[in-house]
Amino acid sequence: MKELSELNLPDDVRYAESHEWAKPEGDKVKVGITDYAQDQLGDIVFVELPEAGDSFEKGEEFGTVESVKAVSELYMPVGGEIVAANTSLEDSPERVNNRPYSDGWMIEVKLDDASEMDGLLTNDAYLEKLKG
Amino acid sequence: MISSNNNRVSNSNSKSIAQVQAETRNAQLVTRNPKPGTRDSQPETRNSELDKCFCVDLGLIDYRTAWKLQTDLVEARINKTITSDIVLLLEHPCVFTLGRRGASENLFVSKSDLGKSGISVIQVERGGNITYHGPGQLVVYFIMDLEAARVAVVDFVEALEEVMLQTVGMWGITAERNPANRGIWVGDKKMGSIGIALRRGISFHGLALNVNLDLKPFSWIQPCGMQDVRMTSMKQELSEELSMNSVREVLKEQLEAVFGVALFTKSYFELEGILRNQKHESMAERV
Repeated sequence: MKELSELNLPDDVRYAESHEWAKPEGDKVKVGITDYAQDQLGDIVFVELPEAGDSFEKGEEFGTVESVKAVSELYMPVGGEIVAANTSLEDSPERVNNRPYSDGWMIEVKLDDASEMDGLLTNDAYLEKLKG
Repeated sequence: MISSNNNRVSNSNSKSIAQVQAETRNAQLVTRNPKPGTRDSQPETRNSELDKCFCVDLGLIDYRTAWKLQTDLVEARINKTITSDIVLLLEHPCVFTLGRRGASENLFVSKSDLGKSGISVIQVERGGNITYHGPGQLVVYFIMDLEAARVAVVDFVEALEEVMLQTVGMWGITAERNPANRGIWVGDKKMGSIGIALRRGISFHGLALNVNLDLKPFSWIQPCGMQDVRMTSMKQELSEELSMNSVREVLKEQLEAVFGVALFTKSYFELEGILRNQKHESMAERV
């Protein structure tokens, strides 16, 4: 288990309190789970993701991850339409543990409302939240 | 809640617990400490401020009824109508359940044979693959706000295993963890299983310990979706029937010790009353 000071919390993504990150890329946003989340979950053995074309609101469940006999729900940090899902996680779910912000990305979303990004936390604010 | 500055794991555990803890990794439920150095600063409060946890003995209860109760309790925990964690202890009538990834190819009997046996197959949201529940198996569902308690999922699962290891240890059974699969094992045979789900940081489902369970229906499935997994029970290892009541009471004590909580018994009716009030309140809000 990592100490909070050991967490990788990059400053080019925004964070949701439910421990997902969102990174703007053009008019789309990539989404995954934070280093804190993957560390808490332990070895991830399965990732269940939606298909392109599905739409979800902010806060809605979009998928699940399974680790150590525990299935955890994943929630949309922003609302929108799924334009892509990281299908490589079907065969290599450990990417979420190893590289949560790069190879371990989960979905790409076309934003419904760009201002929803403003409601997310910066890395500093997220870290403060974790400190409680 | 298990707070950051107070190592709530009881330090009054019996010697046997300490021994086992020394032998196993993460035996105690130790939470992430966001303020290093403060964890042990107030040891005198360790046992005086244990978190209260509701505990309900449901007896033999239909799987779907207990499932609905769990999801209602998770909802009540999310919207804070109930602010305590909740432990449900029960047995299920015979049923096969498939976890999120469970597939019926791990079931070796046909649907029609199952129909004749009267055993149903239910797909649920918990982790793990296929398993069997029946009378004589002690099932514990733990609705705990892991997010608020700052308990990592991996530590929660290990703590549930620890509760089972300690419980069977009281009857002289040496069980252990197995890197191949979660749960507790006696040699290459599985005695207790784990399967949990997390919704908004709150756990549900839990553990199933084979006490006097008839193991035959396990031969109709590929337990956990793994080949050649053999199951055992406390009865099989000891060659005698155990009192479910005794095992349940010992398990409660171990749960209090490992999780550092104090269990407060509630009846099913009290719990239903709380849930009913919650529904009335939310309806009133809408009006």
